Amino acid sequence: MIVKGMVIIMADVLLDVQHLTHFFKINKNITIKAVDDISFQIRKGEIFGLVGESGSGKSTAARCIMNVYRPVSGKVIYKGINTCDPVEFRQNKKLLQTSRQFIFQDSTSSLNGRMKVEDIIAEPMQIHHVRPKRGTLRSEAEFQLYYVGLDKSYLDKYPYELSGGMRQRVAIARALSMEPELLVADEPIAALDVSIQAQIINLFKHLQKEHGFSILFIAHDLAVVKYLCDRVGVMYHGRLVEVAPTEELFENPKHPYTKALLSAIPVPDPRLERVKGAVN
Amino acid sequence: MDERFVQVGIRPVTALPVQEKKQYKDKPIFSMTVFMVIAMGCLFCNFFITKDPAYMDLYNTNAAPGAEFYFGTDAMGRDIFSMIWYGGRISLFIGFFASVISTVAAIVFGVFSGLAPKWADDCLMRFTEIFLSIPSLLLVIMIQAILGKANVFSISFVIGITSWTSIAKVVRTEVKQIRDSEYVIAARCMGAGFFRIMWRHLTPNFISSIMFMVVMNIRAAMAAEATLSFMGMGLPLEVISWGSMLSLAERSLLSGAWWIILVPGVFLVMTLLCITDIGNYLRKSVNNRRSNL
Amino acid sequence: MRHKNIFLYYIQKFIVFVLSVLVLSVVVFYVSRLAPGDPLYSYYGDRVEKMSDSEREWAENQLGLNEPIHIQYIHWFANAIRGNFGISYKYKTDVIKIIGGRLPNTLILGGIGFVLIYVLALGLGILCTWYEDKWPDRLLCKIGTVTSCIPEFWLSIALIFLFSIKLKLLPSSGAYSIGNGENVIDRISHLTLPMTVVVVSHLWYYAYMIRNKLLEEVRTEYVLLAKSKGLSKKNILFKHCLRNIVPSYLSIMAISVPHILGGTYIVETVFSYPGIGTLSYESARYQDYNMLMALCILSGALVILCNIVVQIVNERIDPRMKKDEGLQVSEVIEIG
Repeated sequence: MIVKGMVIIMADVLLDVQHLTHFFKINKNITIKAVDDISFQIRKGEIFGLVGESGSGKSTAARCIMNVYRPVSGKVIYKGINTCDPVEFRQNKKLLQTSRQFIFQDSTSSLNGRMKVEDIIAEPMQIHHVRPKRGTLRSEAEFQLYYVGLDKSYLDKYPYELSGGMRQRVAIARALSMEPELLVADEPIAALDVSIQAQIINLFKHLQKEHGFSILFIAHDLAVVKYLCDRVGVMYHGRLVEVAPTEELFENPKHPYTKALLSAIPVPDPRLERVKGAVN
Repeated sequence: MDERFVQVGIRPVTALPVQEKKQYKDKPIFSMTVFMVIAMGCLFCNFFITKDPAYMDLYNTNAAPGAEFYFGTDAMGRDIFSMIWYGGRISLFIGFFASVISTVAAIVFGVFSGLAPKWADDCLMRFTEIFLSIPSLLLVIMIQAILGKANVFSISFVIGITSWTSIAKVVRTEVKQIRDSEYVIAARCMGAGFFRIMWRHLTPNFISSIMFMVVMNIRAAMAAEATLSFMGMGLPLEVISWGSMLSLAERSLLSGAWWIILVPGVFLVMTLLCITDIGNYLRKSVNNRRSNL
Repeated sequence: MRHKNIFLYYIQKFIVFVLSVLVLSVVVFYVSRLAPGDPLYSYYGDRVEKMSDSEREWAENQLGLNEPIHIQYIHWFANAIRGNFGISYKYKTDVIKIIGGRLPNTLILGGIGFVLIYVLALGLGILCTWYEDKWPDRLLCKIGTVTSCIPEFWLSIALIFLFSIKLKLLPSSGAYSIGNGENVIDRISHLTLPMTVVVVSHLWYYAYMIRNKLLEEVRTEYVLLAKSKGLSKKNILFKHCLRNIVPSYLSIMAISVPHILGGTYIVETVFSYPGIGTLSYESARYQDYNMLMALCILSGALVILCNIVVQIVNERIDPRMKKDEGLQVSEVIEIG
């Protein structure tokens, strides 16, 4: 298979999305095509970025991949399992639910406000009856918390007692506690302050190096994607208009929408900015 | 894991300040005290009651309150003072137990209905409406008849099973509001089952909005027990509760023994009043914003 | 187009109503027959004990009691559809006739009670809103809480003790003195105590609901606007706020029907008032199946009708209320 002049060995592919389509029915007359026939692959150990403006269907695609929504048509093949097929999903339920983890945009609502950090992190282990590697669930949670850079004194805190960045770290710790092979991060930094964004991105990069898992990283900020991702897909109105390795995409964008997006990246230099404006 | 890896992008963590204790202002201290006194008195009645509550002193039937019988005796010569504390246990127990039954039923039903697809939800709600439309008195009589002779557990069950619908409706509305929040989706992605989502994720988040109704259900259950026993469908005379004590009230009307009516009634009403006061405290007050009028 | 839709809408509501009553009848039929107990007792009284087996069989046959339950239900249903609800085992007369004789009594007690409760509740609600957090409001709230905590049966007993036994002012039972059925004053004196209990034990419950609705209304922004335009307090409260709570008021009224109905049942039983309440109590206790069915369907249909009225009010009259967010009885319907 040849994509943009690059050979992908099929055995390397972890997640294969084929012609994924999802509609939302608002009422009898109005149907919204949230995701319209998108296809891409994610290889093992790769960080794949998915960018696009708000409402372009990035989150819907992520949720279809994670079996939150059942797509109208198309396939999502993870490790040779078609997760969109209910029978196949049920047969491989445990594998799918442990080795793929989801990180949400808004850590305020993705963490249950009535549970302590310890319980939040330990929850996936409890659900799947995984025996904690470090003895008790608490020590395991403590380790995961340390791993994402938080002190163990936070174990007994409730999410509302933490700042946005800390909460997102807790969400990441929860995802990591199952040692996933695929991490789907749905705009994990969009709700954070700029300075915290940098910390979390560095954390992602670091964790990926340590663990070697694949990440589907959804963002609307191209600068972040450029820094973090190996390959990038650009979504526009529910369609995947361009997929390319990051450098290639940034140097030589093919699709007009990609070009427009790139020109919208702010340059932290007023003179350069002016020049860029003149070019366009 | 080993210490090899480096932490990245981390701000120094400072120790968190210890939280101050919550203020106990505006709490219904008076009601809580009275309720605790009654509840404790019932619980530890063995230490201070003067007579055997079940003993029938046939020489002293319908005796007026006095030095020997503080609250008088009933038509069968039993000491009302002892019976009040002794019987309060059963009344309180029925109140709590029936409330637990109805709350659990309401949560299971409400969560199920709230999470179910629209058609199933419609059917379930229609079902509750039909269930509600049978006069509850008749429903209680019929269910009690199926269960056979009344005892403490069967009467709690009957009261619980006939009073869950209004809580279930509130639970359903609440669940509909929070079922699409991301933590529920996250739990589902992790593979949490229906009951886990219900108990760990949904219930803690709506419990505060039904707490008032749960407390009020205790009150309603106690009143219901008294009503049923009074009408002769609840606990038999030999099982002492405030309700079964009051079932003698109608007969005492003619003998003029007002204490048989008054004493259990006052205890019952006081307890209900305290529970109501505590319940009202739990209810979200509308008065937290200023009136524009 | 719109007109047709409204027509369809009411047709749909009507179908829902009929189906609900049908399901209700099935449920009551099965539940009542599940209960152990001998229905022959209510028909033959003590003679049942002296019956031989063959006599028993004949009697059961006569009353159609030895067939499987679903066949019995079909028989019952076929008759009921033609308006024939069978005969009461206890009174040995047509069920409809007995209910017809008792119904006016209950309608007088429940109906007047209902109207009184709602007029007074609205008045109290307005009073409390007007004097919010001042002494009249606080006093009323305190008194109201106490009255709503007194169980109906106990209040009845206490009132009987006080007014009938001690003061000998009012009669303690029945709807009229024997041979005095036409005397209006006699009727009223018999009605006073039960009516007092019905009104007192339900009044605050609804007055409080109306008060809270009004208080919510008073906290909206348009009240501030009206005030800033210089409208008087009276004007705002009576012309604007009151009009806006009318839909909620109607919903509360409709929802309260089963509650007040149940309350009159208990009051009737305590006062031996010859109404539907005493009748249902007897029929359920003594397995008077036909009577029980007819009564359950009567009161059930009324309640279901009220629920549908609430839905219509929520969906049609008040456009602010969405389908799912309509008024909920946010309180506990007590037994009775």
